[in-house]
Amino acid sequence: MGIKADFRKRYYRKKSDKRKGIEAAFTLDAQFEVGDELAVFFGRSGSGKTTALQCISGLLEPNGGKIIVNGNVYFDCHKRINLPVQQRSLGYVFQSYALFPHMDVKKNIAYGLKGWEEKDKEERIDDMLQMLDIKGLENNYPSQLSGGQKQRVALARALAPKPDILLLDEPFSALDRVVRMKLREKIKEIQRELKIPVLFITHNHVEAFTIADKVVVFHDGRVQQIGTPEEVFYHPKNCHVAELVGVTNIFEDSSVIKDDEMAGTLTIGCENLKITAKRPDYQVKETISWGIRPENLRILPVTDETIKDENTLHACVKSMVNKGSSKTLALEIKEHENLMIAEISDQFFENLNLKEDDRCLVRIERDRIVLF
Amino acid sequence: MFDQIGFPLLITLKIAGLSTLIVAITGMVISYILARRDFRGKWLADIVVTLPLVLPPTVTGYLLVVLLGKKGALGSILYNLTGWSIVFTWQAAVIAAFVVSLPLMVKTTTAAIEAVDREYEYAAFTLGRKELDTALFITLPLAKKGILAGIVLSFARAVGEFGATLMFAGNIPGRTNTMSISIYSAFQAGNNELANTLVIILIVMSLLSMAITAKVINNWKI
Repeated sequence: MGIKADFRKRYYRKKSDKRKGIEAAFTLDAQFEVGDELAVFFGRSGSGKTTALQCISGLLEPNGGKIIVNGNVYFDCHKRINLPVQQRSLGYVFQSYALFPHMDVKKNIAYGLKGWEEKDKEERIDDMLQMLDIKGLENNYPSQLSGGQKQRVALARALAPKPDILLLDEPFSALDRVVRMKLREKIKEIQRELKIPVLFITHNHVEAFTIADKVVVFHDGRVQQIGTPEEVFYHPKNCHVAELVGVTNIFEDSSVIKDDEMAGTLTIGCENLKITAKRPDYQVKETISWGIRPENLRILPVTDETIKDENTLHACVKSMVNKGSSKTLALEIKEHENLMIAEISDQFFENLNLKEDDRCLVRIERDRIVLF
Repeated sequence: MFDQIGFPLLITLKIAGLSTLIVAITGMVISYILARRDFRGKWLADIVVTLPLVLPPTVTGYLLVVLLGKKGALGSILYNLTGWSIVFTWQAAVIAAFVVSLPLMVKTTTAAIEAVDREYEYAAFTLGRKELDTALFITLPLAKKGILAGIVLSFARAVGEFGATLMFAGNIPGRTNTMSISIYSAFQAGNNELANTLVIILIVMSLLSMAITAKVINNWKI
């Protein structure tokens, strides 16, 4: 079972705009299918991922299309079906947790269990406390809990009524790294155990990559790509997806100079830059976009005369940011107006001993070039 | 002694208490609707409810007589049916107090409800709870400080009500002579001793109610 969605939601600047036929300020056009798996909605803020989640939950009404969950029609524009939120079987975890501050943990979890037999209710609450490792906190109020504990209670509350689907809106954005990692594992574990569709919103590509069975990439109100984390991470479909998954250095619409099937290489030129990449397994057109991640750029000292190939360029260090365990460099090359962003490890950086305005060589690893 | 101090005190508490009870209930309903619903003519509803706050109380009292008096639009129907008129009764004083104190309740409570994060309500909806259920167990409890403030203000306003009550309920000894009106009468009659006593009782009452409210609100964690 799973979610089948194909719907549109339009936002207008003013209410009267819709009547007057003025174009919507933002349109979400979402199409995706999710099975009993953990699907990550991935995109920047404002890309439409939260709107999509709210349409599925029924907190927002789409302007058109269909939403079907486990065979139940939640929304169908043509048949004029719009199931109220209360009748959709879903667990929703809000970014701010939204735990009721005037109720203790136990009452919060019990809130969705209206109409249950007292005995079943007690049992279910106990199961939930166990499942999320929050036993002993049942009499605490939300203000007495840490961020991680609040998130666990929010999950317990959402899961207590045995929902058909679980929706999580950036659930870990306010948590520190360690707690976040633990909770990611917890969510994965819960999904494996319950075998229900779980939709998880994030704008963090590391989070998307580590947790997802399937990634749905949103940009500008449209679904750009759907695939496994590997597909999206290593084979982004377009420059929007590439940028989102961390391919910072992007060169759009470069011309294909030579497509050498024998050697398995592709030579691309843009402005004065000429680069050789590994040939993709599909037929290329006249132009192609490509990019390279900052961590896949190799920085070499200028004195290193041994390396001479077309993918090695002379560069000048424009600026430098220390990120603790690594350094981010902005490099100017004479062949192209774009600055190249490189990330190198501390250890490696020490050997180079670079300062701003120093010259160096930058090597674009052929196998690491991302084509789209 | 009872006629001069005891009766005004009791009738004031009765009128202000009853009017505040009605104000509290209708005020919460109106405030919830104003804070959470969007409907055509909302601005007009807001103005109508707020109007008595800006109108001189004598004008409010006059309008009440015009509307509910023996010859009034609604009052005449009531009089023809039952032979009874509300004017110059303690019930009229309740209505006058209700009308002038309702805006205070609505303004304070609407602001308090608007300040409740809607995500709590959305969370309740996703947990299968209907809107009425959510309003009663989530929204209003989370707005309780503002609601209590509204109730206290309304009660104080009802106790102090003078102009509209005088116009609509009159100053009838043993029937509608509330504390505020009795102070005025005593002062007019040159009975300063009585005026002083009544004034002191009112001041003590006001201080007490403020102190109790502050104590209650302090003990609320949320």
